[in-house]
Amino acid sequence: MSESLVRRHGLESLLAGMPGSPSADPGVSVTIRGDLGHINVRGNAEGTGFVKSVEQVLGQALPIRPNTVSAGQHQVFWLGPDEWLVATPSGVAAELAGRLKHASTGIHASVNDISGGQIALMLQGPKCRDLLARGCTLDLHPGVFAVGDCAQSGLAKANVVLALVDDKPTFMVVVRRSFSDYLYRWLAHAGSDDGVTFRDA
Amino acid sequence: MLLIECPWCGERAETEFSYGGEAGIARPADPDALGDAEWADYLFNRSNPRGAHRELWNHAQGCRRWFGVERDTVTYRISGSFRLSGGVGKRED
Repeated sequence: MSESLVRRHGLESLLAGMPGSPSADPGVSVTIRGDLGHINVRGNAEGTGFVKSVEQVLGQALPIRPNTVSAGQHQVFWLGPDEWLVATPSGVAAELAGRLKHASTGIHASVNDISGGQIALMLQGPKCRDLLARGCTLDLHPGVFAVGDCAQSGLAKANVVLALVDDKPTFMVVVRRSFSDYLYRWLAHAGSDDGVTFRDA
Repeated sequence: MLLIECPWCGERAETEFSYGGEAGIARPADPDALGDAEWADYLFNRSNPRGAHRELWNHAQGCRRWFGVERDTVTYRISGSFRLSGGVGKRED
């Protein structure tokens, strides 16, 4: 058993089947971020020192206000009053998860490296909001959903974490790996009029 | 479609939620002491009011929290949401 493990995001075959010359000025360009690690962190936000010890390891704030993201060395998404998602380069995710686990020893908390179960798609371009609105009930108007906001919702019925990263606009969509093939196909179909293009990170 | 206010996430579309039935039904402290009729009453009988109804909802596609909603069963008008504490159905005031 000396096979070497290769990290794959699982959408390679779909990407390979894309038409040869993507449009030069796409309305939406989708970047598949298979290079990100995902860590689920749960713990009590009030008392117990959980927030403090996690923040010390992360080197940045844990967002306490619902549906916001703390951006820094990592991206930390609020998922619930006692649940967060840390997205970070996959090379450091396992080590970071280990340090988080160590820091929360003796505290009622849980840290799980779920990098293998999720995948992030970055949507960029002038038609992003139009495309997302076709499959999502959230109001994504810039006056309502601002940079630094995130939300969990359904995109074409798939459960996703959605965040506005910058006002280009760039949206980050985190989806379960098992739904990524479906979501890729949905984006390709629903965005065909907008000249949606896909590429690897 | 209903717009339901999650106490954490704010107003979201009904499709993000799942329904959990009537709120405020406390599990009997000593189930062994109940007779069949009382146990059946706890399990199956609900108030089924015409008008204001306090019920449980779960923000299944969002923050996955259980919370309470007061909804009018005739008009479907939702008059408010509340967090649960000290057990499902207890009001946090």
